[in-house]
Amino acid sequence: MRVRAGTARLAIGALFAAALYLVPVAFAGSPYVLFTLTLTLCYAIPAMGLNLLLGYTGLVSLGHMGFAGVGAYVTALLMKHGLASFVPSILAGTLAAGLVGVLTGVPCLRLRSHYFIIVTLAVGMMLFLLFNNLDWLTGGAAGLPGVPRPRPLDLGFAVVDPRRPAGFYLLAATAFLLVFVIQYALVHSDFGRSLAAIRQDETLAASRGVDVFAHKLTIFAVSAAIAGLGGGVQVLFLRAAAPQSFGFLEDVNVVLIVIVGGSGSLFGPCLGALLFVALPEALRVADAFRMVLFGAALVALALFAPRGLWGLAATVARKLRADRSVVARAGHS
Amino acid sequence: MTSASVAAIAIIAALGSAFTMSAAGAAEKSIDIGIVTARSGPLAAPGKFQLNGFQLAVDTINKAGGVKIGSDTYQLALKVYDTHCNAAEGASAMQRLVGVDHVPVVLGEVCSPTAAAEAPVASDYSVPLILTVPTAPDLTRQGNPFLFRVNADTDQLNKALAAYVVERHWSPLSFIAWNNDAGRGGVNGMKALLPKDIAIGYVGYFDVGAVDFSSDVTNIRKSEARAVMLLMDEEPGALAIRQIRDAGLDTQLVGTLAMGSDRFLKRLDAKYLDGMVQYSAFPPSAPLQRIQEFGQAYRAHFGEEAHGFAAQSYDGLLLAVNAMQAAGTATDGAAIQKALSGLSFDGVIGHVQFDGNNQASPPVYITQWCKGGTRKIDFPADLKSGCGAG
Amino acid sequence: MTALLEQIVNGAMMGAIYVLVALGMVLIFGVMEILNFAHGVLFMAGGYLCDVFVLHLTGSYPLAVILTMVTLAIIGVALERGVFRRLRVNVPMQIVASLGLILMAENGAVLLFGPSALQLTVPSVHSLVRVGELSFTVQHFIIIGAAVASIAALQLFLRRTRLGAALRATSQNPEAARVIGIDSDRVYRLTFAVASALAGLGGALLGPLFLISPQMGDLPLLKGLTAIVLGGMGSIPGAIVGGFAIGIIEAVSTLFITTDYRDMVVFAVLIAILLVRPWGLFGIRVRGDA
Repeated sequence: MRVRAGTARLAIGALFAAALYLVPVAFAGSPYVLFTLTLTLCYAIPAMGLNLLLGYTGLVSLGHMGFAGVGAYVTALLMKHGLASFVPSILAGTLAAGLVGVLTGVPCLRLRSHYFIIVTLAVGMMLFLLFNNLDWLTGGAAGLPGVPRPRPLDLGFAVVDPRRPAGFYLLAATAFLLVFVIQYALVHSDFGRSLAAIRQDETLAASRGVDVFAHKLTIFAVSAAIAGLGGGVQVLFLRAAAPQSFGFLEDVNVVLIVIVGGSGSLFGPCLGALLFVALPEALRVADAFRMVLFGAALVALALFAPRGLWGLAATVARKLRADRSVVARAGHS
Repeated sequence: MTSASVAAIAIIAALGSAFTMSAAGAAEKSIDIGIVTARSGPLAAPGKFQLNGFQLAVDTINKAGGVKIGSDTYQLALKVYDTHCNAAEGASAMQRLVGVDHVPVVLGEVCSPTAAAEAPVASDYSVPLILTVPTAPDLTRQGNPFLFRVNADTDQLNKALAAYVVERHWSPLSFIAWNNDAGRGGVNGMKALLPKDIAIGYVGYFDVGAVDFSSDVTNIRKSEARAVMLLMDEEPGALAIRQIRDAGLDTQLVGTLAMGSDRFLKRLDAKYLDGMVQYSAFPPSAPLQRIQEFGQAYRAHFGEEAHGFAAQSYDGLLLAVNAMQAAGTATDGAAIQKALSGLSFDGVIGHVQFDGNNQASPPVYITQWCKGGTRKIDFPADLKSGCGAG
Repeated sequence: MTALLEQIVNGAMMGAIYVLVALGMVLIFGVMEILNFAHGVLFMAGGYLCDVFVLHLTGSYPLAVILTMVTLAIIGVALERGVFRRLRVNVPMQIVASLGLILMAENGAVLLFGPSALQLTVPSVHSLVRVGELSFTVQHFIIIGAAVASIAALQLFLRRTRLGAALRATSQNPEAARVIGIDSDRVYRLTFAVASALAGLGGALLGPLFLISPQMGDLPLLKGLTAIVLGGMGSIPGAIVGGFAIGIIEAVSTLFITTDYRDMVVFAVLIAILLVRPWGLFGIRVRGDA
């Protein structure tokens, strides 16, 4: 039984990955859709990072895009000034974000939940101030225009050109899948189970021998690094870095993506990203009332789907399955 | 049924219906002009003025019978998307305008960093993007042939003012500035232009939305600043000026752009403004026919005094239309871009012609408030005027 | 030296406003353990409602302020019953709902009143008072008076009335309070009503002094959150000290560092204090804290 479940999951995973990579072919005639999906992936990556923190460990970080900004600016500056090529640049960005995560985590993780929320908010704002004020380094409030795309990659059987929409999508999709696999591996490992224990009852977990602080710091650093990776991909996509992309509104946005999508689930952040990127685009037709409707939708969701959209889908699926089994048992066929 | 399938079906249904909604082609010949601006968020107010300018241009043209390109006559329509000063939203809006709505040209934007994200998309799809408000100088220095700017950038705006300050030796010069691209860009620009003998005094940055300047006022008084430059919009500007003057500080005030308008006067008493100097791209009471005519048309249409951003946007749209006519096409972005580079145009804001960086050099004025709430033009010298004509 | 004194006074004036905002937030958090991010838009609603009441209803500013407080109290109760009651245990969804409310309120304000800020002229804003070289308006002193009066009234209410005792009991231990017969629903409604009225008072007082705009509550919200964390969440003296402290730190810091890092100083102080006292200045230490 266990073997079959394992191979089934692998098959679904492979199918999912294949579908992801086939998107540019499917939407070859709709560059706007391709663009929106690429942007969705850019937002999904930091969301998955935050999900590890918020959904699986129970730590609500309201300043997470600050780490994405660290990754973004490091990557952007290295690429723009020609100091490094794509892979070293984005690696540097990821590591820098992880480092800042460690530095942030040490003072913040000792704090109780509500205090932690506000202090991470403060850290996020401090990082934003750095992006905004350090004119000589980051371009300051006017942003950093002219960030180049990575050079084409020769895979042997094909050439992937990130300067073209399809090529960049494939790059983003690869980064996304990488993070998804990391998320999956972490969640299903002993480390991940310890995180779940910490989320449910810290004191109990500690009494069972879990080094709570070490676990929290590790996952904080990892989630910050993932956010940094996402920031790097996003800034290369937009070809410009702007402080507001990593400010308070975006901090809030990524938290919403994770919670609304369904925190604590693997697909929740992806669903949330799809909703928060694709839905406002689709709602552009209702322009003036767009944000009021969106706000109302959020309130409705908070009230009626307390486990997020993924939780809602799970509930609906369970009900459908239950109804069917009831019918079957009643003898109708 | 798994959660995944339920979610997938719901998403596909929602997105599928949304994305197949593309702009329907109208029965009569019509051109959609793409507009990116801020319709919500903290910069919605300047965004409104910008949009008003585009709207006035379109309404004026349509009322006069439309645009004749080649042998066809077209009515104009605006396709407006809200980017609320967010880079990702800007890029998305551009993508939608060029990829779904198939506009031949895009105009607008309020914030420089957002424009920086929109410009590459313009280049990708060979659709010109004409900026009418953002002032960061770097925008037009990225070598993007499809990005144009009608309005003066920070360096151009500051040049005349810096010379003015040096002439009157207003040293030390203090600043109170928004901590965003407009404010910081202004401070950095002025610092770069001023010679050593003009000392830079206190620089007070504040968050957009902050309203209390008492700590800045105290510091300005202590630094004995000869003049204070206010790099912000009219709303905080009115507050800052009131607080400075109420504190008894009679230091010289230097304002920006729309602080030289009657709309601004309404926010304050004339006594607060007496003597204040500001750079302006659009002195509303200037005795120039182009400005007077525009002011009247704007007032007739919107019931209020014209704003410089509206004038810049109005010219931008007319420029785009002229380019379409010169190129003889309502759809070929590349041809329109070529026409734009070579165009020489006299608009409301003055003569517009793009240099090698696609940057125009419209006239920049310096106006000064007189007693009683009127203004006069102090620069350029050939337009110097008396009180009431500025 | 005088510059320092002046900045302290400047900071205390702004601090009074932060205290008004923080009081409402700390009340809700103390009794219900809810972080109400929508508090800023209640503040903003207070500003707009006061403007509408003065211009279209009463013509009298004091009357309009009272009406605003009453209306906000009603809105607060509606919010509690309609939205926050169901979310008491779900912190992430509190955040989502609050943010949804913020979106609706701010964009609704733009749709109703336009994006440009409104200016409400009241006599107390145009009469100046000199304190040394500094100049303040009568309105500044009204705000300080209102803050002090609110603190006093709140303390009186909490310590001298039965309802106040019920509030305190519920904040200390909701289950036990229910056991001894306190109607927790009533307590929650009252908490939201009082807190919202305080927010509305803040907006009604601040609006005429500066500007009434859709975003006018954003910065006060942030300062209020910082204040209550600094002071210790759930502690009213903490909120008061926190609010004044932030105002004063902001003003004084402009003497020593470049002003674009003003906010950073406040946040750095916050983090520093929490490093030493993870439960805030006056917060309650709970088992399991460092």
